[in-house]
Amino acid sequence: MKKSTLSMLIALSLASTTNTWANQDELIFKPGADTRFNWASFEQLKAVDLSGQELTVFGPWLGSEKERFDNVIAYFAQATGAKVSYAGSDSFEQQIVIDAQAGSAPNISIFPQPGLAADLAAKGLLTPLDAEDEAAVKKDYAAGQSWVDLATFKDQDGNNEFYGVFYRADLKSLVWYSPDNFYDAGYDVPETMEDLKALTEQIAADGGTPWCIGLGSGAATGWPATDWVEDLMLRTQPADVYDQWVKNEVKFDDPRVVGAIEEFGWFAHNDAFVDGGIKAVAATDFRDSPKGLFASPPKCYMHRQASFVPAFFPDEIELGIDADFFYFPSYASKDLGNPVLGAGTLVSITNDSEAAREFIDFMRSPIAHELWMAQKGFLSAHLGANPELYATETAKKQGEILRYATTFRFDASDLMPGKIGAGAFWTGMVNYSNGDSAEAVAQEIQKTWDALK
Amino acid sequence: MVTSKKGSALTMVVHATVLFLVIMWTIPTAGLFISSIRDKDQLSVSGWWTALSSSEQKIVYRTPDADSEIQENGLYVLRGNLLEGGSGKVVKFGISSLKPEAFEPGTETQDRRDVTFKIMANGDYEVTSEKSFRRGVRIFYTAEVPPRFTLDNYRTVLNSEGLGQSFINSLTVTIPATVIPILIAAFAAYALAWMKFPGRALLIAGVVGLLVVPLQMSLIPLLTAYSKIGAIFGIEAKGYVGIWLAHTGFGLPLAIYLLRNYISGLPGEIIESARVDGASDFVIFRKIILPLSFPALASFAIFQFLWVWNDLLIATVFLGNTEESLVLTGRLRELLGSRGGNWEILTASAFITIIIPLMVFFGLQRYLVRGLLAGSVK
Repeated sequence: MKKSTLSMLIALSLASTTNTWANQDELIFKPGADTRFNWASFEQLKAVDLSGQELTVFGPWLGSEKERFDNVIAYFAQATGAKVSYAGSDSFEQQIVIDAQAGSAPNISIFPQPGLAADLAAKGLLTPLDAEDEAAVKKDYAAGQSWVDLATFKDQDGNNEFYGVFYRADLKSLVWYSPDNFYDAGYDVPETMEDLKALTEQIAADGGTPWCIGLGSGAATGWPATDWVEDLMLRTQPADVYDQWVKNEVKFDDPRVVGAIEEFGWFAHNDAFVDGGIKAVAATDFRDSPKGLFASPPKCYMHRQASFVPAFFPDEIELGIDADFFYFPSYASKDLGNPVLGAGTLVSITNDSEAAREFIDFMRSPIAHELWMAQKGFLSAHLGANPELYATETAKKQGEILRYATTFRFDASDLMPGKIGAGAFWTGMVNYSNGDSAEAVAQEIQKTWDALK
Repeated sequence: MVTSKKGSALTMVVHATVLFLVIMWTIPTAGLFISSIRDKDQLSVSGWWTALSSSEQKIVYRTPDADSEIQENGLYVLRGNLLEGGSGKVVKFGISSLKPEAFEPGTETQDRRDVTFKIMANGDYEVTSEKSFRRGVRIFYTAEVPPRFTLDNYRTVLNSEGLGQSFINSLTVTIPATVIPILIAAFAAYALAWMKFPGRALLIAGVVGLLVVPLQMSLIPLLTAYSKIGAIFGIEAKGYVGIWLAHTGFGLPLAIYLLRNYISGLPGEIIESARVDGASDFVIFRKIILPLSFPALASFAIFQFLWVWNDLLIATVFLGNTEESLVLTGRLRELLGSRGGNWEILTASAFITIIIPLMVFFGLQRYLVRGLLAGSVK
């Protein structure tokens, strides 16, 4: 009995391994077939011969995202003959530190937080890229210089070097809503922050609940609130104040930062404005929070979250019909332009090889961006990537926001040192939404930051 | 007479307590099992205890769009069933998100765009309009829905690509990582219990001391050592040998401690007389100690097997996350998605991964209690 189950399992496993290999050889879009793709950059890749070489890639993507990235990699593998294997992990942040320090790092690492890459670069565990890569990113990306700056860190000798190319961006300044619910209640999409606040008050006056806010995220509880504060920071202060804040040249307990936290408090510290009341904010999981938009009757009318959030909408929700988004607006009274908050994943070399260098070149070529754009769940700041290829209307609209942003700023908590951006800032926001004052929270965070120096 | 009455009352209390404890112990597992056969969407909105009775649910339904409309008497009509064939009963309905319970089933109503809605208690609906439907319209309804169960979660887990490979990987890691420490520990335990040599007590104290070293601290140094040694022989730092050795190292202190306590508790006369008869240490170990200490070996084997089987940390560090080397726990975590949203997978996968540990446990459990007691109580 046991023997037969075991042999069945072996058969099963053999079948599954052959499947994996078959998938790697198949290309989802036939090269040359769809002329909207930039096949020229794929053809160029064929000149590179890496046959027999192995390349290991390690990143944070799992599940359907892993599948899509595997599909992209398949093109690199086929064109160059290299054997590429991608592995994903949801504890990427911890694992890459262990692997890099132990000397068993993969060739390529894909960092969800540039701050982490900066830490490794300072220890000399990342390989700097050459000037050609830097120039190409500067030229090919929208707001190219800012993408270069974001990937420039100090090495172990304190020299600034360029370490990686950004691949796959997330847009954070978005408010999600149900157009039908807005129609039923007669609300219009607000164009300015003043309108948004007025709408919030109006919804509450009409007996509805304007916002769904959920900060719960296991060990990372609190991060959605950091996005709120960053977005509001960009809408109340000029972008250079934001940059100084990231470097702690503007202290965390500076009145300007406290002001941004209190702006968030205007939305979240009001029982009438948030679903479930103030107490529910920190207790609700960020993955469950958007579901309130689609409840009957609606638990809330608006939800501010990044471009990835539709993954947590109920299955039957169709983007563009049941759910849509608008840009988290800026104050008309303040002349700060239309700032956009975003994030992105950084592709870097953690274990140098010829194949790794070529892979970086591939990652900054338009075709690599287009191949994932056409599969859903991908935004690109690459100017050479054809926006016509976005798989959905929603993604296309988001791509445009990203492309034409007057001010693009990277998620501050991802840039701050890990103890702040992935620690004190999170817990501070949880304490704030549980009733602590903004000053007290800001001072506490600044104290942690001082202790780091 | 009086004492027996007292006795029976006491027995009643004992029985009640046992029953209570059994129920307390089983509730989480029962809840997990019920969750595992529930629908993904229901799982995120209500607890498993609500799944057993029929519940009133408020649902938003969107009709199909213009593709499925039919023309009748110059009007455009959409027909269908809200419950989509499922059983249940519509109690109330509405056509605006502001008043989702405005109407009783069977009534007819019109919205701002002059679209007429008619909804029956069995879920049948008819939506009529003078213009073609640009897109589906929304109907809000409250329905009595009987409990509904599905095996979808199990299907997702079992059909996931590479699960079989991971099963084999887990076994490849677990079996040697259980056998090697037992082998070494049994030899060591015998030596520490019955062979006299200087520094024996210190050695035992050292082993006991190692029990408190947290393994997380040793991950980076160990992996560094592996990659340096691996570089000399030109092999990868991450591999099965590495993880077997790691598990062996992490498991040995407890194994030696447990087995030594047991073996030193064996009657000394047998060993003495065997010595007198001229048996060497190895013969004594093989012919006397090993058969007598089987309960202790088995109980440690269960411990070690369960710990290695359920391990995720050591496997990800020493084996990696690649498609070919992912163990079962890693594979299941991968199914949860990049942001850990698909946690309905966990419930089903818990019951699937539990099969092998259960087999091991029931195969060896009659030794477990005996071995545990023998190890600690002399």
